[in-house]
Formats: sequence, C-alpha cells, structure tokens
Amino acid sequence: MHGLTKTFGKVRAVDDLSFTVEPGQVTGFLGPNGAGKTTTLRMALGLITPDTGTATFNGVRYAGLPAPMRQVGAVLETAFHPARSGRDHLRVYCRATGLPVGRADEVLDQVGLGPAGRRRAGGYSLGMRQRLGLATALLGDPSVLVLDEPANGLDPEGIQWLRGFLRHLAHDQGRTVLVSSHLLSEVEQTADRVVIVGAGRLVRQGSLAELRAGSAGSVLVRSPQVAALADLLRGDGTRVELTDGAPDGVTVSGLTTDEVGRRAFAAGIELHELRSHTSGLEEVYFRLTAGQEQYAARTEQGAA
Amino acid sequence: MGTVLTRLVRAEWAKLFSTRVWIGLLVGACVLSGAFAALFTAFAGNPDSGLPPLDSPEYGQLAFSLATNATVISVVLGIIGITQEYRHRTATPTFLATPQRGRVVIAKLLAYAVAGIGLAVVVCAVTTAVVLLYGNARGNAPDLSGDNLRVLAFAGLALVIYTVIGVGLGALLKNQVGAIVAALVYLFVVEPLLRSVPATAGAYKWLPGGALEAMTATFQGPDLLEQWQGALLLLGYGLAAAFLGTLLAVRRDVV
Repeated sequence: MHGLTKTFGKVRAVDDLSFTVEPGQVTGFLGPNGAGKTTTLRMALGLITPDTGTATFNGVRYAGLPAPMRQVGAVLETAFHPARSGRDHLRVYCRATGLPVGRADEVLDQVGLGPAGRRRAGGYSLGMRQRLGLATALLGDPSVLVLDEPANGLDPEGIQWLRGFLRHLAHDQGRTVLVSSHLLSEVEQTADRVVIVGAGRLVRQGSLAELRAGSAGSVLVRSPQVAALADLLRGDGTRVELTDGAPDGVTVSGLTTDEVGRRAFAAGIELHELRSHTSGLEEVYFRLTAGQEQYAARTEQGAA
Repeated sequence: MGTVLTRLVRAEWAKLFSTRVWIGLLVGACVLSGAFAALFTAFAGNPDSGLPPLDSPEYGQLAFSLATNATVISVVLGIIGITQEYRHRTATPTFLATPQRGRVVIAKLLAYAVAGIGLAVVVCAVTTAVVLLYGNARGNAPDLSGDNLRVLAFAGLALVIYTVIGVGLGALLKNQVGAIVAALVYLFVVEPLLRSVPATAGAYKWLPGGALEAMTATFQGPDLLEQWQGALLLLGYGLAAAFLGTLLAVRRDVV
C-alpha cells in the first residue's frame, strides 16, 4: 500500500496510508470501527478506486494479476445467494476462474463445512457463513490471504478455530495473511505484526514485541499484607491502586508479574494471587487510538 | 480472452441454474403467453370482443404475436441476472475472481441472451401449441407459415432482446426491486399512456414498445416502423442498455 487516499463526500476515509505486509507472517490490521480498514482493503483489491496512491501484490496491482484468485484470496464480507448451496456457490467461482470444480469440495472439507456443502447457504449459521467466505478465498490456493473482520459473529469455539487456522496457513504453509479487526484481543494471539490505523491514517506499525516494549501493562495482586505491599511498590514511584471489590487486592501498573513477585518475595510479603490484568499492547492500542473514535464514527456514516 | 469469456458465461449459467428462480420465470412466461393465446382463441370472432374471426389472416398474426406477452418476464430475467449480485453482495467475490469487470458484464449479456433464446423457444412453442390445438378444437386454427411464422419468429427475437435490455437496465440501476418496479411501470403505464395520448403518439414508434409492436403487428394501431426497422431499433435499445450498464459497472466502486 502506498499513499492510499479515498474521500467519500466530505469525509476522508483513508488518508495517505502506506504500509507493507511481509510474507509468511500474520499481520493484524487494527483500528477502531470506521478507521478506514475496509475501505483500504477494498482499494487493495481493486473494488474501490483510490483517489491517489497504489496498492500492489509483489509489485502488481490486483486487477493486473494474471490469475488473481490463485494469488490472492480475500474474505471481505459474507456474500452469497441464500438460495444457492455453499457447494454451488464455490463451483460458480471455480468455473469463473478456470479451476477444477472439484476444488469446491476440497476447500469445504478444509474449513470443516463438508457435510453442510449441499445445503442452502441461507440456512447457515454466522460461523458457517464465515467459513464459507474463507473457503471461497482458499479456492485458488493463494499465497496471500486478505481477511476483513473474519471473527465477526463467530462463537468462542469458532474464534479459537480461526486463530489456529490462520496460524497454520501462515506459519506452516508460508502464506501471507493480512487480517483486520477492531479488537486487539482477536489478533493479539494470532498476529506476528500489527498495523494500527485511526481516522484513515497510519498510527503505528511493527512486530507485537516492539509494541509491547512500550508498556508493561498492569498486574493484579492479592495479599493479606496488602498495605505493606502497596507501600513497598510505591516506594520507587510505581502506581498502585486498590482493586474495587477486593479489600486485599491492588492493581499495579508498569511492572511485570515476575517483577512484582520478586520484590514481594524479597520483602517477605505473602501473596495469594498474582496475575497480569491488561497486556501492555492493549494499553498501547487504547492510547494510540484514543480520541479518534468520535471522528471515526463520523467517517463510518460518510462511508456507509 | 475467448476462453476467459467462455468460462465466465459458464459461470453465469451455473449461477442461474443453481437457484430455482429460473423455473418460476419460465413457468410464469409460459402461463402468461399461453393464457393470452387461450383467451384470444376463445373469443376470436366474437362480435363483443372485437377480435377478428379464427379463419382471418389478421387473427393468425395476432395469435402468434401473443408470445410477446412474456417480454415482461424476459426483462425481469435480465434484471435479476445482474442485480442479484448487488442484492446478495456477491458482486464482491465475482469481481474479485474477475477484476476486469467489463468481461463479467459482457459474459452476463451473452449468457442471458442465450438464456433468453431458451425462454423464447419454450414460450413460442407453448403459444403455438395453444393456438393450434385450441384453434383446431374450435374448428379452424391458423397456419404456422408465411406471415404468421414471421410474426412468431420476430416475437421470439423480441423476447431475447428484452432479456438483454433487462441486463443493461439492471447494471444501470443495481437495485433489484427498484429496477423491476421501474420496468413494470414503464411497460404497463408509461408506454401505453404515450401510445394513447395524441401529442406523444408520434414518438411512440421510436420507443421499445413501439419497436416491439412494429415487429409483431402488421395491421391496425398507431403509426409504426417497418418490421425489420423495429427489430433493429429494439436491438439498438438492447445494445445501448448493455453498453451503458457495462460502463457504469466498470467504474462504480463496489462497497
């Protein structure tokens, strides 16, 4: 993506956005709702014409790819005719792209939709619809996968499956995966890198480790000697707050669980519970996108 | 390009025949044209109906032209063929599979022109069967030859062209319900009005309905073009709708 800009009416949905997605990795494309993620992905796939800028796959624009479905697979929304079976839906695209129609059954099995393939897609649950979308993207066995909010509407089990599936596609099969989400927690366990956007602009990009380095998050501690523990930790300026609803608990910001445990042990303070509350990344994400929700909401309206 | 287009046309047929919409439309078209043929045969020569008698040449041509009653189904078939992609948002995977959107629309035009031929053959067969069997039962069926045969052939051609017009119209309007309502209002309200109002009756012959009438009615009625001119004009409308529809589908963002 290079210098992508798109304006809908008066709203600039995407503003001079540039980033690169590396092969063999899962890249999370993060931003609040209306930050321009979908518009960016649609521009990359030639569905929306950008005002300025270009998006290329190995240097070639999507529309210029000789066999786009074999190189790039995309799941943008659950789109199918409700009266057509999932299998027939897939076979249509096999025919359109010259793939053997037998691929339809292969990808149905791959996403665990085999038995439901001959049923009308209109009767599918939300999770099955997402799987059908994923199956469509996988038809051409592409080396690049682009997924827009694929976890939307999935139940916890479906999300768990999706995470594993995406990791498998990227790490075991060496595909490039770009997956967008407005929830950090969705990509945190899957992505190697993240690209964060807000109000159509690039906010931050880098590996998860790099972003985590910015903040250590917060830690929950319970101890019968909670007052002593608080004094001990406050001694060097660490922020310690009482936890609501737990008289013996405190929330410690800026230290890891290891660090809190080590200091408590050194001071001979007994601990009953010690666990990380928010990850550092979560705080980074909130901080980076803070204040852009309002503007983003307006963008959403304009883009709708 | 040739093989790509063949693939895309096949994909369009796969879409058409993997839902049951086509069955409903085909049955509707047969009922529509067959019922009119039965009704006209029943009342042919009846002085109150104003219809010419069964053994007159006028009746023969009129009876076989009744196949054109199914043109409304042709238009709807064409409209559904393209607007279902927008209605069910499958335009996204369709254009992802084939980013050269012009090819998709051209494939649709070809696929639906052929589907229109199939529809026309069945409708013409049903119309002919009703006219001949019922006419014989009443004692005198018109011959399927000469002018009568030509009227039937032109009626079939009109059914095909209306399907193409439907695809073009669907590409222009995108909204399925809107496009169908617009087509129905135009066919059943606007054109009959323009035809009957003296001030606009002169322009009527240049409209699709006027062209259709020129193709299939060789007597009475308003001032019309020659049969072949009507066919060319209607074809022109079909191509214009197809061209504009293609142009817009290629340029518009798919959101």
